Amino acid sequence: MNDAVPAIEGRDLVREFAGGVRALDGVSLSIRPNEFFTLLGPSGCGKTTLLRAIAGLEVPDSGSISLYGQPLDGLPPWKRPVNTVFQSYAIFPHLTVAQNVAFGLEMQRRPRAEIAARVAEMLALVKLEGLDGRKSSQLSGGQQQRVALARALATSPRVLLLDEPLSALDLKLRTEMQLELKRLQARVGITFIFVTHDQHEALTMSDRIAVMNAGQIQQIGTPDEIYDRPASRFVADFIGATNLLEATGTGEGAYRLADGSQIAAQGPAGSVWLAIRPERLRIAPEGSLHGVVEHAVYEGTDTIYHVVVSETVRLRVRAPNSDGASARFATGAAVGVVIPADAVRVLQS
Amino acid sequence: MTAVWRRAALLAPSLGWIAAFLVLPLCLMAYVSTLARGPMGGVDWNHHTADAYVQFLFERDLMDRLVVNTDYLRIFGRSFALAGGTTVLTLLIGFPTAIWMAFQPPSRRLLLVFIITVPFWTNILVRNYAWILLLRTGGLIDTLLRASGLSNEPFSILYTPLATGIGLTYSFLPYMVLPIYVSLEKIDRRLVEAAFDLGASRWAAFRRVILPLAMPGVMGGAILVFVPGLGAFISPELLGGAKSMMIGSLIQQQFGQSRNWPFGAALAFVLFALVLLALGAHQLRYRREAR
Repeated sequence: MNDAVPAIEGRDLVREFAGGVRALDGVSLSIRPNEFFTLLGPSGCGKTTLLRAIAGLEVPDSGSISLYGQPLDGLPPWKRPVNTVFQSYAIFPHLTVAQNVAFGLEMQRRPRAEIAARVAEMLALVKLEGLDGRKSSQLSGGQQQRVALARALATSPRVLLLDEPLSALDLKLRTEMQLELKRLQARVGITFIFVTHDQHEALTMSDRIAVMNAGQIQQIGTPDEIYDRPASRFVADFIGATNLLEATGTGEGAYRLADGSQIAAQGPAGSVWLAIRPERLRIAPEGSLHGVVEHAVYEGTDTIYHVVVSETVRLRVRAPNSDGASARFATGAAVGVVIPADAVRVLQS
Repeated sequence: MTAVWRRAALLAPSLGWIAAFLVLPLCLMAYVSTLARGPMGGVDWNHHTADAYVQFLFERDLMDRLVVNTDYLRIFGRSFALAGGTTVLTLLIGFPTAIWMAFQPPSRRLLLVFIITVPFWTNILVRNYAWILLLRTGGLIDTLLRASGLSNEPFSILYTPLATGIGLTYSFLPYMVLPIYVSLEKIDRRLVEAAFDLGASRWAAFRRVILPLAMPGVMGGAILVFVPGLGAFISPELLGGAKSMMIGSLIQQQFGQSRNWPFGAALAFVLFALVLLALGAHQLRYRREAR
């Protein structure tokens, strides 16, 4: 397979629903072969619509999608070599586990013996051996999830689409399935396109992430790019916890906050937003800003300090507890906040 | 203990109703079917005999020997054929209708269900009389056929089994459409999408996903059409004429003109037994499949 040819390429996709809501508002993206690619965004941002457009279940008003260079436009879903793991799993309730997994193979009219072998192989892959004869009503959520995975992978699709597959699982199972999905992807070696609204899930699982909002892609990048160098205020706010401060550039490597205090940072002049991750800040007796600890939230490994600098400027500081109890500050303590210049991300508003 | 009492109290009205107006009359009818015919009609309450059941299959010839008589069997056979044909026809017409309804936007579906029930507003007798006006020679269909030059022969299917079939199909169609619609409407649209996604064309998705999931509705509809269709009385009476008599008319005759209550009761019981057998067989098969 040629790495230069993207597994999925979408160009200028637009989809407007009745009522004028633009689920896709000019989306272009290019997904590499064998990539674990995540579409991340709040509900209603268009990520599921994009996934459905790739599957062929949704027809974009304009724009085009191609798979390894072959245009998919106009192809019905049953003629596209991509399969979907649906959010609700959509296990056929009248069929057994084995019959569900065999469904796609039967549609391709493969020989019986081959289907039986492939079903057994798939059930082993998702660790569901021995449950072939069960119906979906006799399966737990996690097991249904595995059936949906085995069913979608059985026909060896070029690309696997996963629509929030983990959202219905409890936390423990979800963490387990996150690892499982990564393992599966490595085993089958195909492109996974994964839709989620859970930023933690996106950060831990993805090779690259596209952050979407209001039908548009805000930023595409690796998890650390997205986290450390958010391209917009939305991305900075949506991914992880962030201190967002409105500021004005003085043009001399410093920014003036609403209350008049200044922060050193490199970036363009004018009206901007400063995004600073709480874990990049440090509390010390002396710092570039001074304030009072409003409250301290103990979280085990870390303590989160809410520091009131002034009426308009408040900061959250995440301090590791590895220094021991002695280093902690009490509510009401007057403290300084140390802001390293490279911790400040300047975002044009 | 209170839970038991509460359940008993809640069930009492319906159980009482069923006991008083279904079980008791059935027992009475079973008893009547074993009695001798009264000399002036009615029954002789003191004289038990199996005559009524014997009469179903045999008659006495001039020498007073029992000879097999297939007249009544033929009526039963015709009734089963007509009810079965009606079931098939209502299914063929009703299933596409129900599919179309189920895929309408939700707001329109309620209206469509409402429209399906509109025929119930008019008395079934009146509606079957209307079919006489349509089907008879010189009726609307005949007039149209001849006026359009499609046919020169007088069109006449009134008073044939075909006319009965048309009347039955017309009368029972809603009972087929509604249960199928209900089961189709319950089908998760995402299952159909999953089928498409896995390579199923529209036809394959219909055959492999929609149809199996709609089967409970189809079965329900089939029972609702077939069973009352067997005992239907109005359509065969008005549209079928004497040559295509069905069980319903036969039973009615025994209690009416023929004044042979035991035989009427016996006929009703044979029908009852056959229906129970058919339903039982279906239940068995269905339960085995569901497993």
